Amino acid sequence: MSVNRWLATGNFYESYKQEQRIFSTHCERAVFIVFIVALFLWPLLIKTSNTALLVLDEIMIAIIAIIGLNLVTGFAGLISIGHAAFVGIGAYTLAATSRVLGDQHVLLTHAWPLMIFLSGTAGAVFGAFVGLPAIRLKHLYLAIATLSFQMIFQWTINFMSFFNQGQTIPIARVYCFTGMVSRKDHYLFWYYTILIIVVVCGFCVRNLLRTRYGRCLVAVRDNDRAADAMGMHPGLTKVYAFSLSGFFAGIAGALHAYLYRGAGLDSFTLHHSITYLAMAIVGGLGTLAGSFFGPTAIKALDLQVEQLSEWTSVFLPAAMNLATALKPLAFGLVIVLFLIFEPRGIANWWRIIKSYIKLWPFKY
Amino acid sequence: MSYFFQLVVSGIVTGSIYALSALGFVLIYKSSRVLNIAHGQIIAGGAFITYALTVWLKIPIYLSFFISMIITFFLAMSIERIFLRRLIGEPIISIIMVTIGLMSILDGIIYLTPFGTYNLSFPDFFPKRPIIFWGISISWTRMAGVIITFILISLFSWFFKKSPIGVSMRAVSDDQMASMSVGISVPKVFGLAWAMAGMSAAAAGSIIGNITGLNFETLHAFGIAVFPVVILGGLDSIIGAVVAGIIMGLIQQFAAGYLDGNWGLNGTADVLPYIILLIILLFKPHGLFGTHEIERV
Amino acid sequence: MKFKAPFIIILSTILSLFLLAGCGQKQESGQEQGQRSAAKAHTYKIGLSLAITGSTSDAGNPYSKGVEDYINYANEMKFLGDDKIKCMIRDDQYKNDVTKRNFEDFLSAGIIFYLNYSTGSTLALKRDFEEERIPVIPASFHAGNLIDSNYIFLPIVSYSSQAIGLSEYIVNNHKGVNPKTAMFIHPSAFGRGPVEDVKKAVAAGLTMDIIEVVEHGRDLDNTAMLKRLISKKVQYVICNTVQSPVATLLNDAQRLGISADEFGQEDKITFFGVHYTGGNDLIALAGTSAENFFWTTSYRLTNEESAGASAQLEIAQKYGRDSKTANSHNYTNGIMAAQIAVETIRRAKAKGLEINRSNLYNELTAMNGFNAYYPLTTVGPVTFSSQDHAGVDTQIIYQVQNGVFRSICNPFESTYTGKLK
Repeated sequence: MSVNRWLATGNFYESYKQEQRIFSTHCERAVFIVFIVALFLWPLLIKTSNTALLVLDEIMIAIIAIIGLNLVTGFAGLISIGHAAFVGIGAYTLAATSRVLGDQHVLLTHAWPLMIFLSGTAGAVFGAFVGLPAIRLKHLYLAIATLSFQMIFQWTINFMSFFNQGQTIPIARVYCFTGMVSRKDHYLFWYYTILIIVVVCGFCVRNLLRTRYGRCLVAVRDNDRAADAMGMHPGLTKVYAFSLSGFFAGIAGALHAYLYRGAGLDSFTLHHSITYLAMAIVGGLGTLAGSFFGPTAIKALDLQVEQLSEWTSVFLPAAMNLATALKPLAFGLVIVLFLIFEPRGIANWWRIIKSYIKLWPFKY
Repeated sequence: MSYFFQLVVSGIVTGSIYALSALGFVLIYKSSRVLNIAHGQIIAGGAFITYALTVWLKIPIYLSFFISMIITFFLAMSIERIFLRRLIGEPIISIIMVTIGLMSILDGIIYLTPFGTYNLSFPDFFPKRPIIFWGISISWTRMAGVIITFILISLFSWFFKKSPIGVSMRAVSDDQMASMSVGISVPKVFGLAWAMAGMSAAAAGSIIGNITGLNFETLHAFGIAVFPVVILGGLDSIIGAVVAGIIMGLIQQFAAGYLDGNWGLNGTADVLPYIILLIILLFKPHGLFGTHEIERV
Repeated sequence: MKFKAPFIIILSTILSLFLLAGCGQKQESGQEQGQRSAAKAHTYKIGLSLAITGSTSDAGNPYSKGVEDYINYANEMKFLGDDKIKCMIRDDQYKNDVTKRNFEDFLSAGIIFYLNYSTGSTLALKRDFEEERIPVIPASFHAGNLIDSNYIFLPIVSYSSQAIGLSEYIVNNHKGVNPKTAMFIHPSAFGRGPVEDVKKAVAAGLTMDIIEVVEHGRDLDNTAMLKRLISKKVQYVICNTVQSPVATLLNDAQRLGISADEFGQEDKITFFGVHYTGGNDLIALAGTSAENFFWTTSYRLTNEESAGASAQLEIAQKYGRDSKTANSHNYTNGIMAAQIAVETIRRAKAKGLEINRSNLYNELTAMNGFNAYYPLTTVGPVTFSSQDHAGVDTQIIYQVQNGVFRSICNPFESTYTGKLK
């Protein structure tokens, strides 16, 4: 190993294994660790409002959901317009437990890590089930099949009295080592929990993509017939992609239900599915980094626009319509501009910045 | 029995309005392989333009119907020019997403106008008394809707089959490379397909607006409600859109007529199309009349 | 590539600063405001989160203007002396998640009174209201809001009581045996709320038959349903939904020739609706089909002479609202919520109490008997107590006559609502 593993000005890989390292240099790893530590430490040092924490929690939950969506849409190339329904399945697993056992049941309040995992599993099961048509359907027809799933999900929740007909089903506060998580600590507690889950999920997916199962997804996306000829089973791969994506979505849903202390249909509608797709696109489809940038960017945009429209409504009290229009306008423009000018999403900027810093002061 | 026939007639009427709305999807998909999710917004836009012309500018309604079709013709054409032209050759997901973005932008633009939040209705221009024969009643508005739908659909079918531009559009949908090499301007064809879809959307919007009143949410929800119709018929078949539209209209009416209120079911008309769509897709993955594409490695 | 990388670095730095500003700014302004109000101690903050955009914005928009205008009016007229009320109005696009965020934001800004909007978000945030012990007035009159809750106050009678009131009107005026009735409801908790209560009233002795409960979808055509109702000899339909589906229903009924020309016409259907089905928007949507539609609410309308109507129009004119907003019953609705909030604060202040959540709560629950509050815009007094969380207990029925809503009876209190308790 004559290569300097701290600073590499170029690629000096000698084997596939080397190329597939998670961190190509020690420097990268160090920066990453510092970043993660900073994420854990900052809430202790800076006092933040509940709103800010709620927003951060929301962003991180969306990140988990987008990791799942990216697996199915980005890596396996299967368009899913029903991702919010999978997230909903996760949340409603909790809600169903709450309906059957009562919302103060010890499973929900004490065994919440188990419940989160179970919700993920429920998501995976439904994912596999919804993925079944993928064996026969392709492209737009498949996209619409997932849309159908979204609609059927919405209808079922909305019309079954077991699910409280779409109205919020309450879920009690959870307990951790120090007793019940109070209202004051609620958002901070979930900040840490979700952060840990995000990091774990990130590593899981990063590693998955280094295995044959991950490469299988990409192969099926690029050409499923060729993949078939090379001995993979495209149908099974697609089902498994949906199931994996459902797993992450289910976890996100369970976290959402815990964070908001209830599950209501309102958070899992078609509109959310579309927003998830937008997040994946803006972040960069088929990249892991994109799963982190997309939700952050879209949620930040949302907040900025909200503030802007509030600001305009102060100056133009009669023109509330402008405020109304700003949000969809901004959302639409961002999607369209990204697709036209940067179809590879923010992840591409990230790549460019990284290589720029790596090569600096040289320019290729 | 008269109940049954009433359902059949209502189903056909609703279905043909679905067919007209679906026509726009099919026109665009047929030539440029784009699934236009923003179609519901264009439908709403068409309805609003007709209303503005009729009520605010006091133009007779049949005239404003045509003027609004002409306006949306150019509107949709410019949408294609500005947004879609740049994305020719991009993967499907980008194209779906760009129409989703477009949907949002159009939402925003419509919210800038009074139509975004107001509830309005067209002035009556047909007698309110329904047409009644053998105990089955249809309103004049709906009847007119059905007639306009069938006129438009036969016009478009004729256009595709016979006219030189229609033939070139079919050629483009078949093979872009080959049609370019024989001198067909592919971008022009795309633009035209969008423009025609815009026209049909304005017609559909005006008819729906007359039936339901002008409420933006109701109108643009139509864009999503039409999906099962388009997919069921096969994305690239005009006749498929008509047949599937009527099938869906019938399914909805029968669901509302026979399922709702029994066994504690309600609102099945909203979900049944999707369930039936899924089942049919399992047997016919390209819809009822869609072209079966041959894929090669 | 040469230019791209530095450009992107700059761009993304700006963007991430933007993001930080997004999170930080709100907090900053909150603290700043907190300090300012602590120094002056004269500005009371209340919050309102509602759907100014998104679904139901046709109701939310005038509602927000009503609240905004009345608070401004109260400040300018010095209802609280030199003290001011600051009402923070945020759009939640009818999304519970956003409502929750707005509510948390309001809490960190230190609100003492909260105005909410939708049924969904009221139910979703119920537990937060309990924990925060903050008085809340929602725009949703869903009776279920009050279950397991101490801090939610409905400004007027609940949908359930309204529907029961309508049923009583039907029973009292119907000729012949038990009137056959159907309910046409929105597919949500908001729509379904009254069904159970009306059924309870029937069980308690209201001589009426509920033949069918129909939840509507996004139907273009109600022919099937209407034909079915006619074949079952249904004569009355009580709607609890929003205007647009009712308009479609009325249009279809008129087309089928089955809408009654007067109350209780045989073999025809007379249509009734609770608060959110009616108003000028319905007439705008349904046109002549709306004729003979019966609608109940607790508000005075601007098309009939009353002190409340002229006061409302005056406020609307003062703040430059268009006639559509000024005459909307949702504008009245917004004014009402603001009125109760202002009145409660005024009373607490008059007693020399500190203006905080618990004092306001006590003040609200004491608002009965001689202390009842008589706003001009309603048909009866606002009465709250620790048991009774519905404000105006009386309701009035309007009927569409020649394209306008006209009151057809005196304000009344539905008897079965009391009996059911």
